[in-house]
Amino acid sequence: MMERLFKTIFLVIFSLLIISMIVVLNTPKTASIQTQDGKTFPDTTNLRQLNGELINPFEFDKGKILVNIWASWCITCLVEHPFLEKISEKYPDLKLVGINYKDTISKANNYLEKNGDPFVYSIFDNTGSFALKLGVTGAPETFLIIDGIIVEHRIGEVNQVIWEQDFEIFF
Amino acid sequence: MKYFFSLILLLTLICQTSQLYEGLSDDQLERLEHLSENIRCPKCSYGNINSSNAQISKDLKEEIAQLIIEGYKDDDIFEIMEDRYGNYINLQTKPKDNLVLYLLPLAILVISILFVTIYTIKKPK
Repeated sequence: MMERLFKTIFLVIFSLLIISMIVVLNTPKTASIQTQDGKTFPDTTNLRQLNGELINPFEFDKGKILVNIWASWCITCLVEHPFLEKISEKYPDLKLVGINYKDTISKANNYLEKNGDPFVYSIFDNTGSFALKLGVTGAPETFLIIDGIIVEHRIGEVNQVIWEQDFEIFF
Repeated sequence: MKYFFSLILLLTLICQTSQLYEGLSDDQLERLEHLSENIRCPKCSYGNINSSNAQISKDLKEEIAQLIIEGYKDDDIFEIMEDRYGNYINLQTKPKDNLVLYLLPLAILVISILFVTIYTIKKPK
C-alpha cells in the first residue's frame, strides 16, 4: 500500500518537473527594455529651440505631436529623415517636433539645411539630460504624444512598415 | 620606461575618475559602484552600465552620481530606473518576484525526504 503511494507521488513529482521544463523552454524570452507608452510627456520648461527661443511648456498638453530624437552624427536618423518629411506632408495637422540629441547647434542647422527640415522646431538637448528623463536610449527614437500622453514609443528607425504597424491606428 | 608609462596612465585614470565624480565621498563612490554593477545597460542588453561603453551607460552613471549627491537612497535610485526602463534594468533579482523558483525545489526536497522517511519507517521487515 505504502509502496504504491510512494511510487505514485514520485511519478506525479517527476511528471510535474518534466511539464515545467517543457513550459519554460517553450516560453518566449520577452525580457526587453520597457518603452514609455502610457507615460506623461516630461516638463519642457526652460528648454530651448535650436534658434535659442524658449519652448512653450503647455504646447505638449493638447493635440497630436510626433517627437523625434535625432542628431547630425546619427546615420540611422539620416536614413529615417525622408520618411519624416513624407509624414509631415501627409499629415499637415500633426506637429513634428525634433529633439536634437548630443549635438552642436551649427552641425544640427547644417544637417537640416542640407536634408530639409520636417520639424516645426527642434529642441536643443546637447547634454542629453531631457532625453534621459524621457527614457531615450539613443538616436533615433520616436514618440507619438496625444494630449500630453505618450501613446507610442519606437526605439530605432520609423519607416513605412513600422508606421503602418504601430502609429497609423492613431490617425 | 614601461613602468613609467604605466604610472602615467594610472595617474591619468585616477584624475579622470575624480573629475567625473568630484562631489562624491568614498562611501558614495562605493554606492555608485554597487549601483552601476547592478543596473543593466539599456542599449546593449547584456552587462551592467559599469562594463558598458555605450553613451547611455555613461549618462546613467552620471545621473546616478547626481542622485546620490542629492540624497537619494539606493532603493530610490533602483525605483527611478525601474520606473523609467522596467524591471529589465535591475540585475538584482528579488526573491519575492521568483517565489516559485526558490520554493519549488525546496518543497520537492522536503516532500521527498518525508516520503522516504515514512516509507523506510513503515516498510515491513
